[in-house]
Amino acid sequence: MNDTIVRLTARQLFGQKRTLFIALLVAIPVLFAILFRLNSENTDAMDWVTNVLFVRVLVGSLLPFVALIFGTAALGTEFEDGTAVYLLSKPVPRWKIVASKLVVAWAATALFVLVASVVSAPIALQGSGVDGSSMVTGFIVAEVVAAFAYCAVFLALSILTAHALLVGLLYVFIWEAVLTRLFSGLKYLSIREYSVALAHWIGAIPNVIIDPQVSGATAAVLLVVISVGSVGLAVRWLGRWQIGETA
Amino acid sequence: MTALSAPEQNIPTPGPAAGATVRVEDVSKWYGNVVAVNSVTFEIGPGITGLLGPNGAGKSTLLHMLAGFLASSSGSVQILGQTAFGNPELYRHVGLVPEREAVYGFLTGWQFVLMTAKLHGLPDPEGATQRAIARVEMAHAQDRPTGGYSKGMKQRIKVAAAIVHEPGVLLLDEPFNGADPRQRLQMMDMLRQMAAGGCTVVFSSHILEEVERLAENVLVVVNGRLAASGDFRTIRRLMTDRPHTFTIRSADNRRLAAALMGSPAVDGVELYSDSLSVRASDFASFTLAVAGVAQQADVTLYELLPADESLESVFSYLVNR
Repeated sequence: MNDTIVRLTARQLFGQKRTLFIALLVAIPVLFAILFRLNSENTDAMDWVTNVLFVRVLVGSLLPFVALIFGTAALGTEFEDGTAVYLLSKPVPRWKIVASKLVVAWAATALFVLVASVVSAPIALQGSGVDGSSMVTGFIVAEVVAAFAYCAVFLALSILTAHALLVGLLYVFIWEAVLTRLFSGLKYLSIREYSVALAHWIGAIPNVIIDPQVSGATAAVLLVVISVGSVGLAVRWLGRWQIGETA
Repeated sequence: MTALSAPEQNIPTPGPAAGATVRVEDVSKWYGNVVAVNSVTFEIGPGITGLLGPNGAGKSTLLHMLAGFLASSSGSVQILGQTAFGNPELYRHVGLVPEREAVYGFLTGWQFVLMTAKLHGLPDPEGATQRAIARVEMAHAQDRPTGGYSKGMKQRIKVAAAIVHEPGVLLLDEPFNGADPRQRLQMMDMLRQMAAGGCTVVFSSHILEEVERLAENVLVVVNGRLAASGDFRTIRRLMTDRPHTFTIRSADNRRLAAALMGSPAVDGVELYSDSLSVRASDFASFTLAVAGVAQQADVTLYELLPADESLESVFSYLVNR
């Protein structure tokens, strides 16, 4: 890690319209929760918060989308505008550059998704008499862990290709959202599935509510493998980065 | 020292080989079927070297290889005895001023240079930043965001960042782009000072005059090949001694043609319906002679145009020689 790069990246990621846009995205789950609260007489709150709010909206859409934006922007914008050269022409080990960029992207992603979660979940559960604290804790842990994995994947992707945002969108909204539903075998290759399995495990969520196909321990191991693997590739690719490839 | 040779051969380079800080040995770079740099070999030492060539000749590709941002497809690029590509530690001794104008627009000039000093791990980053900014005469604007700088100011702050760690090798890609004449002179002075202090300064330019004024040593790159190398006087002479073609319009083209054929400065004349095309053996003697010849023949000159003065034609002459 390198303080100077961390501070630079924080300014790059937060000082932009991007942040405002993401803040608006965060409002969406909160809005959903309010709408649910207003029309929820006959619906099971626990089931809705778990399956709709967390699995579909927060973990299934908001998390990967925010991670995609921050993960690809952390280094990707520097390749795009040509400033990466200033960073790379320094005697800083490449792993430190990757680690510093990743930590900021991860922190930013986790921050926004956690705010969305801790605001929207209590609103939806409020007055239902359900104790969702264990479930919410499970999801929050899963979100933080998965945010790292997503950011690592997207950061690595941004070094490899100038089209990281597009490739990432295809992965999140075609592969994870559609294909893994059509072909259940693909669930073993989806960060989203691992996140849900991890939340299910840590939050001790009953199988009648969600029944992931991957065990919690397996999911945790796979998330670690993906994260470490992506960081390793990112460091390797950055060390061999050539000007004009993504710039 | 110096001179020209067929591009396929190794070109002897000026400067003592023992003191060479930059060694490029039989280096090629290709992208698919496109060859950007074609078996180039040279060695350079401390002092100022200009990389001269038309746009798209492969100057930037060469500089990027020197800067470790491109791997050569074949051959070896060594800076201070170390492989340039994939060697971040080397940047302790190398400064790079990229051609692209991009800067971190939200940082002030001071913050940008200070950040660079910190990334280099300098013991006194503030002091180094102050010295570097003073050197490029940007202290007056150091507290303004670089995003609002003019092109020339951006260029100068980029140079300040590149020299903050007092590198032994300084690489600049088209450093005079966007600089006004005063800034240009000031930058040239600064680069001369750095060279006098033992720094190896390599800069690229497509403008002959810039290279002529600044570089002690010139590498001419055309179509990815090293077309010529040597000190600027040699290169300049090669460029001006080449045959020139002029287009002339006059009151009586036929009579002027006959008179010109009698002049030793003229190699050949072609007569067209409304003009003459004259091949002169060398630029200086022809331009001195032409007015006198016309006067003696009692022909009024309307127009005298050098036909092939584009830099590209000069370069292609050097390559085809």
